[in-house]
Amino acid sequence: MSAPSDAAAAVDTPAPTTAAASSSGGFTFKLHPLVIVNVSDHHTRVKAQAACSGDSSSSSSGAGAGQPPRVFGCVIGVQRGRTVEIFNSFELVLDPVSGTLDRAFLEKKQELYKKVFPDFYVLGWYSTGSDVHDTDMQIHKALMDVNESPVYLLLNPTINLSQKDLPVTIYESELHVIDGSPQLIFVRSNYTIETVEAERISVDHVAHLKPSDGGSAATQLAAHLTGIHSAIKMLNSRVRVIHQYLVAMQKGDIPMDNSLLRQVSSLVRRLPAMESQKFQDDFLMEYNDTLLMTYLAMFTNCSSTMNELVEKINTSYERPTTRRGGRGAFM
Amino acid sequence: MESLEALVAHIQGLSGSPEEVAHLHSLLKQADGDSLRAHAAALVPFLAYLSPETHSLGYLYLLEACATSGSNLSEFGGGDFLVTIAGFLTACSADQIRLAPDKFLNVCRVLKDQVMQLNMPIRGIAPLRAAVRKIQSSPEQLTPVHADYLLLCLLAKQYMAGLSILEDDIFEVDQPKDLFLYCYYGGMIYIGLKKFPKALELLHNAVTAPMSMLNAIAVEAYKKYVLVSLIVNGQVPSFPKYTSVSAQRSMKNHAQIYVELSTSYSNGRYTDLETFVQANSATFQSDNNLGLVKQVLSSMYKRNIQRLTQTYLTLSLEDIARSVQLETPRDAEMHVLRMIEDGEIHATINQKDGMVSFHEDPEQYKSVEMVEHIDSSIQRLTALSKKLASIDENMSCDPAYLMKTGRDRGRFDGRFDYDDYDSVPHKFF
Repeated sequence: MSAPSDAAAAVDTPAPTTAAASSSGGFTFKLHPLVIVNVSDHHTRVKAQAACSGDSSSSSSGAGAGQPPRVFGCVIGVQRGRTVEIFNSFELVLDPVSGTLDRAFLEKKQELYKKVFPDFYVLGWYSTGSDVHDTDMQIHKALMDVNESPVYLLLNPTINLSQKDLPVTIYESELHVIDGSPQLIFVRSNYTIETVEAERISVDHVAHLKPSDGGSAATQLAAHLTGIHSAIKMLNSRVRVIHQYLVAMQKGDIPMDNSLLRQVSSLVRRLPAMESQKFQDDFLMEYNDTLLMTYLAMFTNCSSTMNELVEKINTSYERPTTRRGGRGAFM
Repeated sequence: MESLEALVAHIQGLSGSPEEVAHLHSLLKQADGDSLRAHAAALVPFLAYLSPETHSLGYLYLLEACATSGSNLSEFGGGDFLVTIAGFLTACSADQIRLAPDKFLNVCRVLKDQVMQLNMPIRGIAPLRAAVRKIQSSPEQLTPVHADYLLLCLLAKQYMAGLSILEDDIFEVDQPKDLFLYCYYGGMIYIGLKKFPKALELLHNAVTAPMSMLNAIAVEAYKKYVLVSLIVNGQVPSFPKYTSVSAQRSMKNHAQIYVELSTSYSNGRYTDLETFVQANSATFQSDNNLGLVKQVLSSMYKRNIQRLTQTYLTLSLEDIARSVQLETPRDAEMHVLRMIEDGEIHATINQKDGMVSFHEDPEQYKSVEMVEHIDSSIQRLTALSKKLASIDENMSCDPAYLMKTGRDRGRFDGRFDYDDYDSVPHKFF
């Protein structure tokens, strides 16, 4: 076991193990959101703990002092024919010296999960990082005795605000012929997110981070309005993108794309959705009502600031007309 | 002390860039003083060599020396000297004169005195308006020139000219006297223009401004304030809590008659009010308020008619005339018609049977203009609120305030005041 892996390692390290090629295996991957939440949680926990206790520790742990440490774990799920459905995941311990997983721990965990979920098998493993590492192939091969073709799920923990997709990539291993010798390399696979209703609700809940006691009316209203505000902001940015694109097309910077223009034109023709005098009247009335309420709220805010200011000026510069105690100056 | 020619040469030479002007300024300060004034008579021909725009600073020094030299200005060819000052004020460069603000103010004051002496206040209006704009570091600052300018506008009865200055909101004040005069004169100008709500605002500021001792301007302002608030609101509000203590205590004593007028007004009977006014017309005349009092009298009708709108839906013209104590239904119709045109009530007059039906405010708030109106009000309010918050912060750091509160707090041995901490956040934007 060790000799071939050494040879493989000797051959592997000069050649790149990453591949931009997409898989031709024909497997369909379905990913449940619980896995993503688990992996990110694991990563965040380890990062937070390392930050707490790692101020004085040496830089020998993990991948350098600047980067957060990588975490590893197993993904489990069901494979039916060509469909691979990844349901759950659990953490694993990686021995930093030898670079191998703790097999005893893995087997114990596997047994425990088997008792609860008899259908689930170990389908592969996960890790975090911005791209595939050279050492990943070793771990991948090590897992091959549990599952003949494990999957490798990579989560990119760096926050990229411009990226709109999930930072999760699923890699398979395929035997390709490179420079005359067959090698295992990672190839990307497409996946879809699959949710059960219960999962959707719980992920939604976690994502919005509502206060646990339901909050007072004020915080609930603020949370609701924040949601609407971010939705409108996103709509606005999308419309702006389309607008810039059209302007550039008009100026001639971008070649004309007729199908896109047709789509935009059909979108524009669908608006305004409602066009009647009664609608205008009602809409403007409601708009004015909301504006008046905002105005009133601002007024109240201003008046209270003014009131406090006057109190302060009175306490500093005026002789009080009646003898008041220390509390008298405050509300 | 250099000779005048050398000084003039310096001025001409050193008025280019800001550094040169600063150098010139220090030279002028050295040369300034009584020695310059002693040569006042000789200075005038030199002024012809300098131009007001480029050599503003030097021109200002020489001009001020002439003007405050104490000798009669008619020596300088009176009317021409006025023209010289007026020309300077309109043409000078704002940056240069801001280096010597007190001299500039002296020159303005001399202009105003001269103009009043000649009894031609209208000649001073244009130069002083330019002067106000030049010496202000921002449109929100109050200068002594404001008060002089408004006084000239009042005397010349050019109320519209004063309006442009009055429209700016004032946030910075150096001298309290400036503020009092500004508010008082400004109030009078608005009264002249019949813009009573704005007049009320300014007079209110004059009455509630902080003062350690009661001053005459505030008392006069209070008298007009009572009258104007009767015209606008029908009642005189009590002193708000930011009025100074000295004002609260003694203001009413100096304006006793006006207080009685307001109580008689609130009774709502026209004839009583009329007799009161007749009885005290001498006092009102001496305060120069008789015209305003007559307007209060005529506003009594309006007040009563407005009170009727709250009770009746329709009313005949005879009934209106009777309850408001007018002579004939024709008078009632005239009054109601005028009020409808001014927008003070909403009603329709049915001429056939002489009935007036009162309506609700027809504003439906469904127009786009209303949206813009409210939106602009909200913007203004946001700006004001920011300013207010910053003033509040400054006040919290004020040593006088901290001393007063710190001393009271000390009694509790530094115990934390839990009331100060709120669980709900106050700011949502």
